[in-house]
Formats: sequence, C-alpha cells, structure tokens
Amino acid sequence: MFKKLFIGNTKINFYNIGSLLFKIFLIELIVFILILSLAFTNVLDLNLSVDFTGGTTYQLETNYASNDVSEIMNSNILEISRYQTFENSNTLIFRATEATAEKEAQFLEYLSNKFNIPDSDIEFQRVGPTFGSEITQKGLRALFIFLSFIVLLITFRYEFRFSLIALVALIHDLLLCLSIYLLLNFEITPSTVIALLTILGYSLYDTVILFDKLNDSTKLKKGSVLNEETLNTTFNEVLMRSINTSITSVIPIASILFIGNYLGLSGSLTDFALPLFIGILSGTYSSIFITVPFLSRIIKK
Amino acid sequence: MKSFIKLFILPLVAFSLFYYTIISDITPKLGLDLQGGISVILTAPDGTEAELLEQAVEIMRTRIEAFGDVQEPEISISGDTAVLVQLPGVTDQNRAIEALGTTGLLTFRPVLESSLNTGYSPAFEYINNPDDPDSPIKKVEQGADELMGLSIEDDPKSISYLLGINSGFPVIYELGPAELTGNDISDAIAVYPDNEWIVSLELKPESENKFTNLTKKLASNQGEQRKLAIVLDGEVVSAPGIAFDVDPNVGITGGNAAISMGNSDAGESANNLAVILRYGALPVAFERSSIQKVSASLGENTLQLGLQAGIVGLIIVSIFLLLYYRLLGIIAVFGLSSFGLLFYSIISLLSKYQGYTLTLAGIAGAIVSIGLAADSYIVTFEKFKDELKVGRSFPFAANKAVNDAWNTILIADFVSISAAVLLYILAIGPIRGFALALGLATLFDLLFTRIYTRNAVPLLSNITKNTRYCFPIKIKDLQDV
Repeated sequence: MFKKLFIGNTKINFYNIGSLLFKIFLIELIVFILILSLAFTNVLDLNLSVDFTGGTTYQLETNYASNDVSEIMNSNILEISRYQTFENSNTLIFRATEATAEKEAQFLEYLSNKFNIPDSDIEFQRVGPTFGSEITQKGLRALFIFLSFIVLLITFRYEFRFSLIALVALIHDLLLCLSIYLLLNFEITPSTVIALLTILGYSLYDTVILFDKLNDSTKLKKGSVLNEETLNTTFNEVLMRSINTSITSVIPIASILFIGNYLGLSGSLTDFALPLFIGILSGTYSSIFITVPFLSRIIKK
Repeated sequence: MKSFIKLFILPLVAFSLFYYTIISDITPKLGLDLQGGISVILTAPDGTEAELLEQAVEIMRTRIEAFGDVQEPEISISGDTAVLVQLPGVTDQNRAIEALGTTGLLTFRPVLESSLNTGYSPAFEYINNPDDPDSPIKKVEQGADELMGLSIEDDPKSISYLLGINSGFPVIYELGPAELTGNDISDAIAVYPDNEWIVSLELKPESENKFTNLTKKLASNQGEQRKLAIVLDGEVVSAPGIAFDVDPNVGITGGNAAISMGNSDAGESANNLAVILRYGALPVAFERSSIQKVSASLGENTLQLGLQAGIVGLIIVSIFLLLYYRLLGIIAVFGLSSFGLLFYSIISLLSKYQGYTLTLAGIAGAIVSIGLAADSYIVTFEKFKDELKVGRSFPFAANKAVNDAWNTILIADFVSISAAVLLYILAIGPIRGFALALGLATLFDLLFTRIYTRNAVPLLSNITKNTRYCFPIKIKDLQDV
C-alpha cells in the first residue's frame, strides 16, 4: 500500500467514493452549523481579544499563589472580564473592560506593587472600542474583493463550477478552524485573523494545483472531457504530492508550536501557529476530499 | 555552460548579498513586538483630508523627537485615517502617550528681550573681568543651559528662554509668564486681502478682556517688548509686534486681531500659523484606538522562538526532502538554503533602505513561505516521476516536468501573490508586514522555479539514469503498472 502510494499507483476509485465523501462533508457541515448556532445562542463563548472588544490587557511574569489571582479579581479597581494562567510558565494575563486612563494606570500600579516588579515589565495593551470593528470591516472588505478575484481567475483558467468548488473547500477550512476555536475556547487575536487569511491563501493554492493537474490530464484524453477515468488517475497520482507538501508545510509550523510549548512561551507567534497548523491539515484534506464529491457530481451530470 | 550559469546565478546572488549584509553589518530592523516598546494607533474621524493627516504626523514627529530618549521612532499613516506610532525601547507609556495624544500646549507670552537686540541669548549676562578685559565673565540665568542659553525645562508660569525662527534665522527670546493659552482662541484663518497675508484671529468672548488688557500693556512698550510670542510646545512659532497705531490706553478690542505675515510668499507660513492657532498642535482630533506595550524580554523570547523554530523547521524539512528525493533532494535543499539567504538579505536591505521593520507577523509569513517554496520542488519532482512512469527517457521527462511544473506553480503562486498584494493594500498595521513577507517569498519562489529548478533537474537527468537516486522506488516498480 505504502509503495503504491509512493509510486502513485494506488487504485482508489475516487469517483465511486464520491457520494460517501459527500455524505461526510454534509455531516461535517451540520456539525459546524450546530457549533455556530451554539455560539450565536451564547452557549459557546467566542473568546475575542481586547483588539476586538475594546478594553485593556495586562500580562506579567511572576511567582504567584492561587489566592493572588482571586484577590486581584476582587480588587475592584477595574472590571476584570477574564484572566489566564499557564501550566508551564509563570505568566499571568488579565483582561479588563474599558475604563478611564487613570483607573488603568492605577491597576498597573496595583499589580506592580503587589508582585513587587517594575511596571515597565508588565505588558500593557489598551484598545478603543471602535478599533476592532474597523479591522474586521477592512478585513471583510479585503476578503470579499479577494474572493471575487479568485472566482474570476479560476473561471477564466478552468471553469466557473471549479471556482465554486474551490470556494466550498475554502469555507470548509475556515469553518473547521472557527469551530475548533469555539469548542476549545481559544482566544481570537489579530494574529489569529492573519493566520485565517493565510489558510485562505493556502487552501486556494492547494486546490488550484489540483485543478491544474486535473486540467492537464483532461487535455491528454480524447475529446478533453472530464470523466471518471481522468478523475481517478489524477487524484491517485496527486496523493503523494499532497502528503509531501503538507508534511513540509506543517513541519516549520509544528516546530513553532512544540518549541514554544517546551519553552513555556505563549504569545503572538503561537497564536499564529495554531490556526495555521489546523488550517494546513484541513486545506490538504479539503483539496482532495471536498473537491472529489463535487467533481464526481459534475461528471455524473 | 549556459545552463551552468543559469543554474548558479540565483544562489550566487543570494550568497553574495548575504555576504554583503554580513560584512556591512546590516541586520533586519526589529519591530516592537520583537524588541519591546510602545505602539499606539491613533484614528482620525472618517473623511479627514490626507493633507491634514500628514500635517499632524509631521507635528507628532517633531514632538517625539523633542521627547529625547526615543531611538528611531516611527510614525506612519496607515490606511485612510489611522496613524501608527511605534516607539521602540520606550517603556514610560504615560510620557509617550502624552506626547502624542494631547493637542499640544499653545501659549501667548509677552517678549521681554531677544537675541535680536543683544546678539546672544538674553539668559547670558557678560560682566567685565577686571583681570582680563578681553574675556568677560559669562553669567547664566537659572534654569538655562550654559551653551545655548535656552531654558532646560519650559515652565509657562515663569520666565523662560525659548528658541524661535525669525525670517530664517534662529532667535532666542526671553519670555514672561503665559498670559493666554490656545483655549482662549475660538478661530484663526489665513486671508490675503490687499497683497498681504494676514492671519485673522478671533478670541472667545470670555477672553476678550484679557486680550485687551495684555495688548494695552504691550502697546505702551517699545522695541522687542512690544512683541507677543506665540509659543507651541516650548518653541516660539511667531512673535508679532503690536502695531504702532494701537492706543496704549485702549488696546486691541472687539475680540479680533490680525497678524500681518508679509507679501505673497508668506501664504504657507500664514496657513501654518492659522492651523497652529486653531488646533493647538494637531490639526485633527485623534482617537486613541490602540495602545500596546511589549517588554523587552518578551520581545526577545519571541524572536528566539521564531528563529529556533525556523531553523529547526528548515533542518527537518531538509532531512525529509533528502530522504525521499535523494539527489533531487540535494537540489531542493541547496535551492531552499539559497532562498533563505536571499530572503534574509533582502529583508535586511529593505530595513536599511526602505524602513521595513521585521515584526512577528513577518516572521510568520517567512515560516509559511518555507512550506510554499518546498512545495514548488515537490510539484516538479512528482511531475518528473509521473513522466518516468509512462516510460519517458530521463532527459525528456525532466524537461517536460520542469515546463509543466512551471505552469502549475505560476498559477498557484499567482493566487498567493494576489492575496499578498490585496492584503498589503487593504489591511493596516501588522498584517502589512505579513503580506510583504509572503509576497516577497512567493516572488522569490517563482524566480527560483523559473531559473534554478528549471535548469537543475534536466542537468541531473543527464548525470544519472537510475530512479533509485531520485526516488525511493526502482524503475521496474514504477513502470510496472
């Protein structure tokens, strides 16, 4: 089996498993929608960082006891909406809702006195309430223009239906990432958003490479029609490339995650790495297992 | 021979650029998130004119420079209305924010004396030295520095020695305590009625009397003491004299005053003065959208993590490529290393000559691009394998593979580049750094695929005809379908 995979001689009948893959896709979709609706009804909490909600965060590294945290939570200087501790590091993070600049400075001083560290060693971030919505708006605008452009590009180079399939694969990857974030209650920061945008690029890149291969094999056949045979040979041949590429793409990102975890560092770089890790695996998956059922439907018609 | 030149041209460029950056000690400029400091994003109201925004940025820049201990502050306009201020190495956030946020202190102070009269700072007094008549003793007023004779710290409540520019020449003024502030002004506008630029000033009704009394006092003086200095953040912006037809018993009444600025050339300075009078300092009321402080230690940790992860990632990817693709793997690893060196050198050079700062987002973009660059080799090698599989000869398969792969990679990279370009144009702040790194890396990837890989793989196919040297498979297995 492994040897066959190497050679590209695997004999998976992608055309026949198309309907099965389609069912899997539908189940996935239902799960995503379920998770999203749980989020909308506030059963699951979308953990947005201050960049989106407005407010302040304080991050410090210190030896603390467990009652320190509850004491700070009840200090009544600021309304602290969330705090975060880490298993293998002494980092403490507090997040507070918006308040006056004096109150924020007062809290900073309070922390610096309590743990006896200079206040220049405390990370401090303050974000106005409108900033997040501005970033989101700009991001959405960029996304919309980009996607329209991609649809045009794929339509021009291949065909219109292919661009829809690429979009479905893309939305699948984004939904998967979002669902994992919702379920595990990870914090969504601007870094996460950048990572999501990268996933978007990666997912399309992967799908386009596949379409290109499919296009080449179709052209070789008589009449240049996409049929069961070309679908099967193309996807069997391309399997090894997909696996190898996802391995080489995932390794650098995995090393950020593992080295970061080993050093006890949690920060923006790991904020990037996690969604990328999920996204690249999902992108590889979707470029084959989401495109195949749709392609086999096209052939059937 | 020709293909040898093509083969080594890119690695050669990469190595020599890298060597150049090393010997000239050019390193990437690190962003705040990697070296610590304060970053502030200020947002102007929607629809603010670009010109006003640029003016505000200029004013902020001078203020931050006046602030002293900031190394390489960076103030840039980002998007339509946002101004991004980066203060690396600054940890005293209150002072930094003060310098940016408040609209500057504008005061009106009577001139007591100026260097126009004395020829040196009014803070100096030269007393005859009985022992040596040629070198009089210099006495410096309290609070002024000995070299220039300027107040070390400007206190608007007491006498200060401040610098101003009068028709292109520096003048040091001795100023009395502030009598009026920017809050007393309701409006100011530059007009050009009779071949002369005039800044027309309007006072708030409650401040009219103060102004009348001040001008009465000044109109009774002569020479320098007839002047009223307009001071912004410790600098004399202008020191117009009270006109000679103003009666010392009446002063300037009615809450209006006109400052004559001179003939047709003075339009720009009249406008600038009007803006300063109207807005204090910043012509735009900014909202502080985001303030972020990163301590130096966290920044350093993140940089270390990024570098270690990048190197470890590159090594593992190399081992994997060598194990799987063997001789082809050597092509890939050599190409990837050159790619890495070129990328590092270009980022360093961009830092030096274009002011690019390498941020965390940029590092993330670079790490992602390792994967993309490696993929281009994999796509090429796999096509090579497919061609061998259908029984083509080594050289033919290699040539066809590199040509086909180029088409595929071109369109796939085109998607990545357009994503990068769009992100760069539409996004603000850190996302731009990411987009630039990603776009640059993809561009290099295209170059390497076109020039390096395209020549390297056919060259190898002439050297060996054994699939075992290129893939973990025997040719018999490959073709035995």
